[in-house]
Amino acid sequence: MPPALAMLLGNLINGAILGSVYGMMTMGLSLIFGVLKIVNVGHGAFIMVGAYIAFWMFTLLRLSPLVSIPIAIAVGMALGFVFFYIVIRRLVGAPELTTLLATFAIGILLEEIAKFLWGPDYRGFNWEVGKLFLGVTTIPLSKIYALMASIAIAVLLYIWFRKARSGTAIRAVMEDREGAQVCGVNVEAIYALSFAIGLGLTVLGGTLLTLFVPVGIHPYMGGIYTLKAFVIAVLGGLVSPWGAFYAGFIFGLIENGSYTLFSLIPGLEPFSMTQFLAFFLLLVILLVRPTGLLGVKP
Amino acid sequence: MHRYVPLIPVYLLYGALFVIGSQVSGMWQPMALLAFYAALGQAFNIFMGMTGYVDFGYVAFLALGSYGMALAISSFAESLGAGVIVAGLLLALGMATVLALAVGAIALRLRGAYFAIATIGVNEGVRYLIEGARLWGGSEGIIISRPLREAFGPEGANLLSTFWADTLVYLIAMLAAFITVQYLHSKIGYALMALREDEDAAKVMGVHTTKYKIIAFITSAALGGLLGATGWVLKLTYVFPADVFAVHYTVEAIVIVLLGGAGTLLGPLAGGMIYAALKYWLSISFPGLQLLLLAPIILFIVVAFPQGLIGVLKAKAKGTFWERVIV
Repeated sequence: MPPALAMLLGNLINGAILGSVYGMMTMGLSLIFGVLKIVNVGHGAFIMVGAYIAFWMFTLLRLSPLVSIPIAIAVGMALGFVFFYIVIRRLVGAPELTTLLATFAIGILLEEIAKFLWGPDYRGFNWEVGKLFLGVTTIPLSKIYALMASIAIAVLLYIWFRKARSGTAIRAVMEDREGAQVCGVNVEAIYALSFAIGLGLTVLGGTLLTLFVPVGIHPYMGGIYTLKAFVIAVLGGLVSPWGAFYAGFIFGLIENGSYTLFSLIPGLEPFSMTQFLAFFLLLVILLVRPTGLLGVKP
Repeated sequence: MHRYVPLIPVYLLYGALFVIGSQVSGMWQPMALLAFYAALGQAFNIFMGMTGYVDFGYVAFLALGSYGMALAISSFAESLGAGVIVAGLLLALGMATVLALAVGAIALRLRGAYFAIATIGVNEGVRYLIEGARLWGGSEGIIISRPLREAFGPEGANLLSTFWADTLVYLIAMLAAFITVQYLHSKIGYALMALREDEDAAKVMGVHTTKYKIIAFITSAALGGLLGATGWVLKLTYVFPADVFAVHYTVEAIVIVLLGGAGTLLGPLAGGMIYAALKYWLSISFPGLQLLLLAPIILFIVVAFPQGLIGVLKAKAKGTFWERVIV
């Protein structure tokens, strides 16, 4: 096999694995937009919170990031309920101007608290659990665990959405707010729950992300993930958590595959070109297929 | 002449800032900061305030304006002499307008959150294209202090970045205020107001919404380009993509417009001055903590006064003498 092809294959495998985490953390963004019609511009800050949870659990208590999963969900949901009842509750249905600004301000608040508490340094940790040899590439088992955790969470969420009473209520509110209200659904409670679960997923995404960015944990790490999440959410149709999950895989493949191709062209900065491609894709999808690549309904 | 009455307090305020800045020692920079944020608010308000569309990628226009000025100076400073500033302003205007036309044609078909996300995409896309394809110096940007020194001499270059750059910002702010008044009292303003309240209804009533949205979008973008060319490049004498495309400036513009009152004339001016003064005071009194303190303030304003300071005053002034002045 020619080395370029082997590199492409290896990168694609890595891209699909990272894509599962991308997908999972974008599910939160899509769930919040689908139910509350609010774009969480502070998305990245919650990913940062998740990354710090994994970091402190690992360095202080020697707990593996997999053990941090329930803690991350709990912290994310707690933050979700707090911000919902203090700020967001008053902004549901308000013009974009106010909701975008409010969620951005929440993001700044979290980033600055993180900087105040833990300083601006870059931190990281390395969870060594062995490697998987695949011929074209070698994958740390920690990443495989992240992939399995992402899929497991997505499946659990799917079952909860289909079977549980509160899950079906969320779907009902997504589809028709007034209709759900008439049927006796407590819409405000559903808003609070969706916001909390959305942020729980986002924070959890940050925790799993630490297995891919060994030294990239710092207060302002979230910005780029907010932007990536926008692209993924749009690929998935913006209102559908499941669309977002699939789109995460697609985005991971595109990102890592195009990196290999761009690095073959001289005179280009491959990393920046992959970002350019992502935003170009965002615009094309918004114009041509605003329901998302897969056209998934919520 | 009725319609120009509200411009009197606006121009008096800018005049006051300019006089305080030039007469009281040490006040030029703080006053210029106030004027810059007021100008940013006024330029942004022409589109966002009047239409209700949130352009989250607005800073891209300031960025392209910055590149326009920097490119003009780095390539023509020797041949054009002082005229290069005019060439730079024209190039800034042109580049911002071209981007606005392209974005307007694409993104203005979208509404609400979709529009906001598309414009963020444009902002980041342009930035990464410049860095990725190594356009205009790529991520290293353009530094114009040397060509400026060569064309204007060390003292001239110094005067340009410490005095003329800020003075041009004042002039752009006044121009933006004038255009705002013109638009508010013309067909454009009425059309925009109608589409802000209910775009579908406006369309059904025969308002050519797309046309007026594009007019407002391009006006706002062109003014943004001029601000980037003067308030950023001429003042700082460099342009780096990571700085000029920072989402953070768009958010500041949104805060200013919301704080003062969206769609009003005095709102962005009041909002810009309050915001700049607050930011300046916080950064001096609590260095390093200004953002930590600013975030809860923004949240409070968003929740408690979504119609902004001038919005509140306007409602109070209804039916009194002040109705004519507070617009």
